[in-house]
Amino acid sequence: MDTLQYAQLFLTESREHIAAVNQALLELERDATGPGAAAAVGEIFRSVHTIKGMGATMGYAIVAELAHELETVLDRVRRNDLGIDGEIMDTFFRAADVLEQAVEAAVAGRDGEIVATDLVATLHALGAGDAMARSATWRVPVPAPDRAGTLVRVRLSPDTPLRGVRAFLVVQALGALGEVVATEPPLDVIQAEGFETDFAVRLVTSSAPDEITKTAARMGDVADVQIGDAPMKPRAPRQSRPVQVVDLDAVPTVDASQGNGASSPRSAAISREVSAVRQVRIDVRRLDSLMNLVGELVIARGRLTQLADTLGDLALEETVQQSSRLITELRDEITASRMVPVSQVFDRFPRLVRDAARTVGKQVEFVVEGKGIELDRSMLDEIGDSIVHLLRNAIDHGIETPEKRLAAGKPATGRLVLSAARDRSAAVIKVSDDGAGINREVVLAHAKRDGLVDANKTDLNEDELLRLLARPGFSTAERVTNLSGRGVGVDAVYTRVRALGGAMDIRSVPGQGTTMMLRLPLTLAIVRALLARVGEEIYAIPLAHVSETIELVPDIRRTVKGREVLLARDEVLPLFRLRNLVGLGPYEAPNEIDLEHVVVIDLGDRRAGLVIDEVTGQEEIVVKQYEGVRDGLPFFGGATLLGDGTPSLIIDVSSLL
Amino acid sequence: MSQTVLICDDAIFMRTMVGDILGQAGFEIVGEAETGAQAVEKYQQLRPDLVTMDIVMPDMGGIDAVREICKMDPHARILMCSAMGQQALVVEAIQAGAKDFVVKPFQPSRVLEAVQRVLG
Repeated sequence: MDTLQYAQLFLTESREHIAAVNQALLELERDATGPGAAAAVGEIFRSVHTIKGMGATMGYAIVAELAHELETVLDRVRRNDLGIDGEIMDTFFRAADVLEQAVEAAVAGRDGEIVATDLVATLHALGAGDAMARSATWRVPVPAPDRAGTLVRVRLSPDTPLRGVRAFLVVQALGALGEVVATEPPLDVIQAEGFETDFAVRLVTSSAPDEITKTAARMGDVADVQIGDAPMKPRAPRQSRPVQVVDLDAVPTVDASQGNGASSPRSAAISREVSAVRQVRIDVRRLDSLMNLVGELVIARGRLTQLADTLGDLALEETVQQSSRLITELRDEITASRMVPVSQVFDRFPRLVRDAARTVGKQVEFVVEGKGIELDRSMLDEIGDSIVHLLRNAIDHGIETPEKRLAAGKPATGRLVLSAARDRSAAVIKVSDDGAGINREVVLAHAKRDGLVDANKTDLNEDELLRLLARPGFSTAERVTNLSGRGVGVDAVYTRVRALGGAMDIRSVPGQGTTMMLRLPLTLAIVRALLARVGEEIYAIPLAHVSETIELVPDIRRTVKGREVLLARDEVLPLFRLRNLVGLGPYEAPNEIDLEHVVVIDLGDRRAGLVIDEVTGQEEIVVKQYEGVRDGLPFFGGATLLGDGTPSLIIDVSSLL
Repeated sequence: MSQTVLICDDAIFMRTMVGDILGQAGFEIVGEAETGAQAVEKYQQLRPDLVTMDIVMPDMGGIDAVREICKMDPHARILMCSAMGQQALVVEAIQAGAKDFVVKPFQPSRVLEAVQRVLG
């Protein structure tokens, strides 16, 4: 069979199962005797078993072998035949790792690189003693004296898989013809594969020999059937046990009418009506190109709407409106089809946190919240590494050693929370620890040393802190650790989040801990934007960050300490002038009625006013990658083509606030 | 009219493979189930001519599902899909009412032979 086409599927599914194994191993490690332990072992067993089946089907010998040995050990644990201790847990974790490597290597065609002989041997030793235990579950009682009946000798093909079961099926099928009074070897021996290819059944029946032969032969893998007491052609009768005859009354008989009836057309008819939800798998690249196409369509729609407006043809406008609605639905459907729960990435973190905490000798309780929140798949792929960075930081620099924590009057085990939540059209991902918090004095001292802040500065607020930490290469780490390496890595995260059109926030309280917050758009490609005009230029402001637009009447404007501020609803907000930012001259009102406007932008709980000439409309815009000119204006987050085809820059609200 | 099949396995990989083998042989795959409970539910809805059933599945294993399905329809035709080393479980499944079994790794010819036997 051409298994190549299945390789990708195998990989995806095996990864999911390995993630599930790791998850359950962590649960098991936390509480190896509690009520959840059996469920965890069951879960691991199922996943490993599935990987084994898939691996064997793909012909990935190492994967199958490893999974098989691991499964055997797990089965002993499951049957309370083997207790769990730290050593076994370590072996399990190692097995999960090697299994993952084996899966990846096998699919990449590099399975020769994986050497797992040691591990396989370890597992095999743990699983030993198991050999016959399982097959003993089926018992046939009391031997009984030989009775009359037809002797049926059956020979199976030498390559019969599970020949014990195959033989059992044959016995059962013969039983349907009458009564099986005995078998040789006894049925439990047959079932435990205690024979090579030949076995015999004594059958009381009124069926003709021909019928008996046919019935037995129909059961598959049957090479030969002989009726009557004439001896079978000699063939390696490996008879280690004395011949026994066993009463077989216990064998359930089968309704003889079944299996022969013509297959009914009824089900086919019914099935068309109730055909349930079916799923298909789609290459992500195909979804990407659908998204691009619908993006182009959205742009074309903008152009079409504007044209229809100018022409003023009612029929045309109506048609344009209708297709516009359809395009919106189409976009929503495609966007939705790209959404995946964050658990797809989050599920691998518990293991990572455990290993990281062990490496630095810290105790960490890891909590994940909001696993069901959905994000665009490519967004999730892009942000995974950044979250890893933040988690490692929290463990390495945030949470203290158990001794230090106890000395500070905290529980020895630190708490690390990763949460995802929806906030309007954004996803908010938070990494919080209850560690020592960021040492502002150290940051300040480093910043002064590097000449980044005024030498007289005595304190840093949250924004200044983030800005300093986000500087490339800025590090306060006293030593380079295995975990986070040199530099805290905040700069990498900050850059990545900004590139994705998101924003980042820091809250750090000395002694109580640090929270890193990432705000991400749900999807990368399309956003609704407010179109703001200054002079002849149109700029786009993502609507997700706009809370209101007001006229800049004189009495809501003040000057405080030489800076312009806006009084809006009892709040004093900093005021920026877009004209100043992009280097245009001051606003000249065409008449006394036309005032400037101010757009109130917000980001989480931070707000500001942005002064523009006027709002020209709202539009869905397709965000195009924008390579900001180095040392150029930093507050643009991308570019787009407007409905009429003119290019426009997208304002990055997070850089203003 | 082609005969209908319900495929029960917790691995998409296995469902796809079995589906491909049977689909190419002219069967109509009318449903898939990922758990034993789903298998029972879908059997009730779809009444397929054939069920392929994995043994180890979450939320009610394959054997219990066979039992439930046979309670509902004593004539159900169920083919067990098993891995090496599960002889005791396969026997149990057959006692519960399954008609035959195939062993992973699947060979299409073996699967189709078993299906033919099950459909009699």
